[in-house]
Amino acid sequence: MVAKLQVISLCRSLLRAGRKYPDYNIREYTKRRALDGFHMNKNLTDPSKVKEVYAEGKAQLEVVERALKVYLAYPPKTKNIMELKVQ
Amino acid sequence: MQARQMAHPENILDKLIKITIEKLGVKEDEVKANSSFVEDFGADSLDTVQMVAAIEEAFGIEIEDEKVESMVTVEKAVEVIEELLKEKA
Repeated sequence: MVAKLQVISLCRSLLRAGRKYPDYNIREYTKRRALDGFHMNKNLTDPSKVKEVYAEGKAQLEVVERALKVYLAYPPKTKNIMELKVQ
Repeated sequence: MQARQMAHPENILDKLIKITIEKLGVKEDEVKANSSFVEDFGADSLDTVQMVAAIEEAFGIEIEDEKVESMVTVEKAVEVIEELLKEKA
């Protein structure tokens, strides 16, 4: 049985990992996709289904963390226009 | 100078109010020091996660799960942020 606190912790871990990406687009996508995923499944009640999507979430977290290492090795040379502050 | 400004309670409160308005869709005059995010603003657990993520990003801090649980009201949240900023400085 997956506890609510575990789910919240997973969501936070995904958002935290996503924040570390140097690329603006990947950062925003990770944040959006993580939140969308949790919103989509927030009304699940069947324990086996909850366990399944939680495991999927954990697997995705591993993907995010693994890919992050590659992206950190090759950060973009310029900032995305969306990151530039309006003067 | 910037760190001192950031650590000033009014600046922390201003930033926190801005985040609250943005993430929870409330009006500025509805946000009071003793306002509860869950009871007064109807935040669910996902809203709370988003708020905490926004706070972490805005202040450059990391908030542990145990501290998140104590951030029930605006006032409490300011206290936690102040404490973490002091630890960081």
